[in-house]
Amino acid sequence: MMKNFIHSRSLVVMTILIAAMVCTPLVSSFPTGISGVKDSGCNCHGATTSDSVTPMIVGLPEVYNYSEVYELTVSFTGGPSTPGNINLGGFHLWASEGELSVVDATVQQYNPNEVGHTEVGNDQTSWTVVWTAPATDRNVEMILHTNSVNGNAGDGAGSSGDEWNKITKKINAPILVLESANPYVVLSTLIIISGILLIITITYIFYRTNPDSFNWESFEPWIADWLTTTDHKKIGTLYFLAGMFFLGIGGIMALMIRIQLSVPGNDFLTQDQYNQFFTLHGTTMIFLAAMPLINGFANWMVPLQIGAPDLALPRINAMSFWLQPVAALLIFTGVFSGTGADTGWTGYAPYIVSETAHVGTTMWVAGQIMLVASSTLTGVNFLTTIAVMRAPGMGWMQMPLFTWSILVANLMLFLSIPAFGVGLVQVYLDRVIGTAFYDAASGGDPLLWSHLFWYFGHPEVYVVIVPAFGVISEVIATSARRTVFGYRSMVYAMAGIGVVSFIVYGHHMFTSGMSPTLRFVTMLTTMLVAVPTGIKIFNWLKTMHKGSLIYRTHTLWALGFLITFTLGGISGMFFPSMAMDLHFHESYFVVAHFHYVLVGGTVFGFFSAIYYWFPKMTGRMLDERLGVLHFLTAFISYNGLFWPMHRLGIWGMARRHHTYFISTEEAMGSLPAEAAGWNMFISISAFLFFFSNFILIANMIKSVIRGQKAPADPWGGWSFEWMTSSPPPTPSFPLDDLPTLRDANEGHIANEPSAIVRWFQGLMVLDDNEEEAGH
Amino acid sequence: MSSDHHDGEHHPSAWGPHDWSHGAPHNSWSPIIMSIGIGIFLYTVASVYSWGNMVDSSSIPLVLIGLMIILFGLLIWWRQDASFDGIYEPKASGTPFQNIEIRKVAMWVFLMSEMMVFTSLFSTYMRYRFGIDSCQEVYESGSWIVNSQNVDTGEAVNCFLPASELIASSWFHIAPGAINTFALIISSFTIVQALRWAKKPIGSVDEEVRRKRVYRYLGSTWVLAVIFLTLKMVEWFVGFYIPEIGPIHEHDIMSLVDEGYTIHADHYHPHHGWDDIHLAELAALHPEDYEAYLSAVGPNYEPTNAVMLADIRVSSSTFFVTTGTHGAHVFIGIIGLTYMTWKAWTGGYTPQNAVSIEYFGLYWHFVDLIWVIVFPFFYLY
Ligand code: HEM
Ligand SMILES: [Cu+2]
Repeated sequence: MMKNFIHSRSLVVMTILIAAMVCTPLVSSFPTGISGVKDSGCNCHGATTSDSVTPMIVGLPEVYNYSEVYELTVSFTGGPSTPGNINLGGFHLWASEGELSVVDATVQQYNPNEVGHTEVGNDQTSWTVVWTAPATDRNVEMILHTNSVNGNAGDGAGSSGDEWNKITKKINAPILVLESANPYVVLSTLIIISGILLIITITYIFYRTNPDSFNWESFEPWIADWLTTTDHKKIGTLYFLAGMFFLGIGGIMALMIRIQLSVPGNDFLTQDQYNQFFTLHGTTMIFLAAMPLINGFANWMVPLQIGAPDLALPRINAMSFWLQPVAALLIFTGVFSGTGADTGWTGYAPYIVSETAHVGTTMWVAGQIMLVASSTLTGVNFLTTIAVMRAPGMGWMQMPLFTWSILVANLMLFLSIPAFGVGLVQVYLDRVIGTAFYDAASGGDPLLWSHLFWYFGHPEVYVVIVPAFGVISEVIATSARRTVFGYRSMVYAMAGIGVVSFIVYGHHMFTSGMSPTLRFVTMLTTMLVAVPTGIKIFNWLKTMHKGSLIYRTHTLWALGFLITFTLGGISGMFFPSMAMDLHFHESYFVVAHFHYVLVGGTVFGFFSAIYYWFPKMTGRMLDERLGVLHFLTAFISYNGLFWPMHRLGIWGMARRHHTYFISTEEAMGSLPAEAAGWNMFISISAFLFFFSNFILIANMIKSVIRGQKAPADPWGGWSFEWMTSSPPPTPSFPLDDLPTLRDANEGHIANEPSAIVRWFQGLMVLDDNEEEAGH
Repeated sequence: MSSDHHDGEHHPSAWGPHDWSHGAPHNSWSPIIMSIGIGIFLYTVASVYSWGNMVDSSSIPLVLIGLMIILFGLLIWWRQDASFDGIYEPKASGTPFQNIEIRKVAMWVFLMSEMMVFTSLFSTYMRYRFGIDSCQEVYESGSWIVNSQNVDTGEAVNCFLPASELIASSWFHIAPGAINTFALIISSFTIVQALRWAKKPIGSVDEEVRRKRVYRYLGSTWVLAVIFLTLKMVEWFVGFYIPEIGPIHEHDIMSLVDEGYTIHADHYHPHHGWDDIHLAELAALHPEDYEAYLSAVGPNYEPTNAVMLADIRVSSSTFFVTTGTHGAHVFIGIIGLTYMTWKAWTGGYTPQNAVSIEYFGLYWHFVDLIWVIVFPFFYLY
C-alpha cells in the first residue's frame, strides 16, 4: 500500500517534469505584438488578434514577373470601425523581397520592405501601395497587419476597443526556389534527437544494471533514486551528464552560427535569429556546460581526494544540481518561437532592459538567477567541505592540487557571484515590475550593470579555467610518475590568480570611457595575471622534465592543453594593452582568444579529466586507441577552427554580427577577398571538431558495455581517490576508517602503453629513454 | 502516514523522516520539487507582470501554485529534519576547525555570500545617491525653471530623492522604522535566550520548564519578526492615523506609496509643492543662495507658480529593493522560526541539538546587523 503510494507520487513528479521539459521552450512568452511591426511605428491595437477583422490584399499575382510593378489595394473589413468615426483604421505591410513604395499621402514608406499608413491615412479602411517584384527568382512572403479603429482616441481613450488581425501571403517566383531549412526546425529537431538519445542511454544503463528485471516496477525505484539522491558520486554523475548534454546543444548552436558565417552575405539565419543563437551558445557553454562539468568532477573527486565520507551538506548539494535543469528550461524559453534572449551572454544594459530585447530575455534572467542560487549553494558546500572535512593528518599543504583548484575556484565564485545575482534581480524587477535601475531615461546607469557583471564575469572566467589547472597538475604529475614540481608555488600561484582576478575586471570596459588613470592601473593588474599563470606553466614543464612521461590519452590531452592554453594566454596578453584593445575589441580576435582558453583550456582540461577519472568513476577502462584517435582529430580540427579567427579579427571581422562582406571586383566589402575562403575553412573545421567528439562518446559507451574492468589505481596515482575500489563504495570512506596519506613517489604500477601510444611516445621522449637507460 | 517498516533500510523514504545517526546519504524529493516550484514562480510572475503593468491576471493562480510547490518541498525537507535529534551532528575533522560543528562553519560561509549581496545593493545605492543630483539641490538651484521642466510642459527632471527626506520629516513618519529597529534588536536577544535555555545541561533544569522557555523565547522572536514586517507594510502601503493627543492635532500619516514615492514615480512632486513662488521666497530668505538662483533664472524672472516635476524612479527603486531584500530575509527568518517554534513546542530541543538554534541565531543576528546599517542609510541620512 505504502509502496504504491510512493510510486504513484514519483510518477506524478516525473510526469510534471517531462511535461515541463517538453512544453516550456515552445511557449512564446507573451502574445503581444509582432516584432518588426512595432519597431517601425505601427502598433497593433489591443493585446490579441481579433477574428472579426479581415485584412485583404488585392492585386497580387500567384507568380510574379521579373521587376514588374504591381499596384496593390490593401484593405480590411469588420471590427469596430464604422463609417463616420474620426479614425477608421491603419495598416502595416511587410514584403520579404522586392520593393514597396507609395502613391499618395495616405501611405508612408519606412524602408523598401515596409510601408504603413500616415496620420492622414488613418481615416480610411483601404489604401493603395506599389510593389516592384524582384529581378531574380525569390520566394516572396508578405505580411499585412490591419487595425480596425473605433475612433475614440480623440476622447483620450487611446486605442482601447480597437481590434487587429494579420494575414500572410506567398507569391511564387517564375522558377520555383527551394527554401532553405528553417533554423528553428533544425535546432529543435537536433535537440529532440539529443533528448531521445539521452533517454535511450538512461534506459540502456538501467537495462545493464540488471537485464533480468527490465520492467517498470524495478525501473521506477531506480530512477526515483537518481532523482532524489544526495550521494556526491551520483550527483557528480548527474552534473556530468547534464554538462555533456549541454556541451552538445551549445555545439549544435555553434555549428548553425558557423553555417551562417561560412559564406559572405549568407541568409541561413536572420539577424534576429543569429542574435539569439550566439547568446544561447555563450550562455549554454559557460553556465550549462563548463560549470556543470566542473561541478561533476568536483563532486566526484573532492570528497574522495580529501578522504571525506561525502560533502558537508548533501541535500543542499542535490538542491544545487536540481536548480540547473529548471534554470536551463527558463533560459531556453522562447527560442523556438523566435522570442528567445538576444542580449549576448553578457546581457549588457540598457539593451537588456529595453523593450526591443526579446521577451525571452526576462526568462533568461530568471534562469540565470536560479543558476546564481545554485552556484552559491555549491560554494557553501565545497568551501565548508574542504575547510573542515579533510582526513586527519591532511593539512592544507597536503591537499591534492585538484582540490586546491576547486577551493580557489569556489572562493572566487562565491565572493563574486552575489554581485551578478543582485544585478540580475535588478534587471528582472526592471523588466517585470517596472523599477528603474538601468533605465537611462530615468537616470539609471547602464555602466553599473557592466560593473556588477564584470566584477563577477572576470573571476568567472578563472572559475572555469582554474579547475582545469588542477586536473592538468594531477594528470601531468601522475603521467610523469613523480610529484608535481613546486607544489607550494602551484598553490600560491592559484591563490594569486584568485586574488588578482578581483582587481582586473576593468579591462572589459576599456572602451566605455573610463578614466585613463584607471585604464592604466587595470592594464598593469591584468598583465600581472600572466605571472602566476606563467609559474604554473613553468612548473608543469619542469614536472615533465625530470619525470619519465607515460603517454596515455589523458597525458596527450594535458600536453594539448599546455599548447593551446599557452597560445590563448599569449593572445590574451594583447588585450590589457589599451592601444591594442581599442583595435581588437569586439572582433574575431577576441573570439579566437577566448575559445583558445575556454575550449583549449577548460574543455581540453576536462577531456583529460574524463580519460583520467573515467575508470575510477565507472570501474571500466576506456579504449586507448579510440582515445588517441579522438585526441588527434579533435586537436587538429580545433586548431583549424579557431586559429584563422585571429587573422579575421585583425582584418576587422566583427564579433556578434550575423554576416560580413568581402571586397570583390564589383563591390567594396569590409574584409579582403581571402576572408571568404578562411571562413569556409573555419566552418568545415567546426564540423570536424564537433563530430570528432563523438569518438569520445562512442568510447564511453563501448567501455560501459564491454570495457576492461579497472583496477583501483590504473595510472599509479597517489592521492586518496586511487585508494578506494573503482567504482568507490558508499559512503566513500567509512567514517571510522579514514585513509592515511601515501608517499607520492611510492609504488608505480607497471603501466604498459598501447601500440599507438608507444609509437607516439617513440616520437617524443628519446631523452628520457636514454636517461632511464643510464640508471 | 508511517514509514516504520523503512527503518533500518539503507535508503529510507525520500519523502519522510530519517534516522540520521548512521551518516549515510539520505534520498530526498525536496530539492527537485523546490527547484520546479522556483522555476514556475519566476516564470509566472513574469507572465503576470511586464514593465510594471499587469498583462495577464489569469496567470496569478499559477504564481500561487509555484509558491505552494516550493512550500511543499520545504515541508518535505522539514519532515526529514524533524527527526533530527542531534545525536548525529557532524563535527570537523580537519585543521583549523577541528571539532567545530560542520553546519556552523557552513552557516558562516553562507553569511559571507550574504554580505556580498548587501554590499552589491549598497554599491548600487552609493552609485546613485552620490552620482545623481539630489532633488532638493536641483530645486533650490532654480535650474529646472530655465529648462522649463514644469507643469506646463509636463517634463520631469531626473534627480535623486532619498526616502529619508519623507521619512525623517517627522517623528511619526519615522516611528515604524524606529520601532522596527528595536524589535529586531530585542529579537536578537530572545533568540539567544532560547539557545541558553535549550543548552542548559540535562538535570540542571526541569524538562517542562526548558520546553516552555525555549518555545516562548522562540515564539517571541517570531512575534517580533512579524511585527517588523507588519510595520514595514504600514510604512510602505497603509499609513496610519494619529488622534488628537494633547498638543498633537489629529491627522493621517501617509504611507510612502500614498505620498507618491513609488517605483513608477516619473512625475513626482511632493504635496508641499516644489513651485517657483516658494523658491523665490526661499532665495530671498537665504541671500547666500540667491546668487545661484539668480544666475539660473535671470534677474527678470517673474514667478508664475510653475512646479518642478521629478523623475525619482531610480531613488525609489533603490530604496524599495534594498529594504525589500532585507525584508525578504526577515520573511525567510519567520518561515524558519515557525518551524522551530513548533518543534520547541513539541519539546524537540535538548542540549544535544541546541546548536541548530545557534545556526539560526547566526543568520538572525546577521539580518539584524544589516538592518542596523540599512536604517541610518535609508531612513535617517
Ligand atoms: C564546436 C565548437 C565551437 C564553435 C564552432 C564555436 C563558435 C563560436 C563563434 C563563431 C562565436 C562568435 C559568435 C559571434 O560573436 O558572432 C562564439 C561565441 C562564443 N563562444 Fe563558442 N564555439 C564553440 C565552442 C565553445 C565552447 C566550448 C565555449 C565555452 C566553454 C564557447 C563559448 C563562447 C562564448 C562565451 C561566446 C560569446 C558569446 C557572446 O558573444 O555573447 N564556445 N562561438
Ligand atoms: Cu576579464
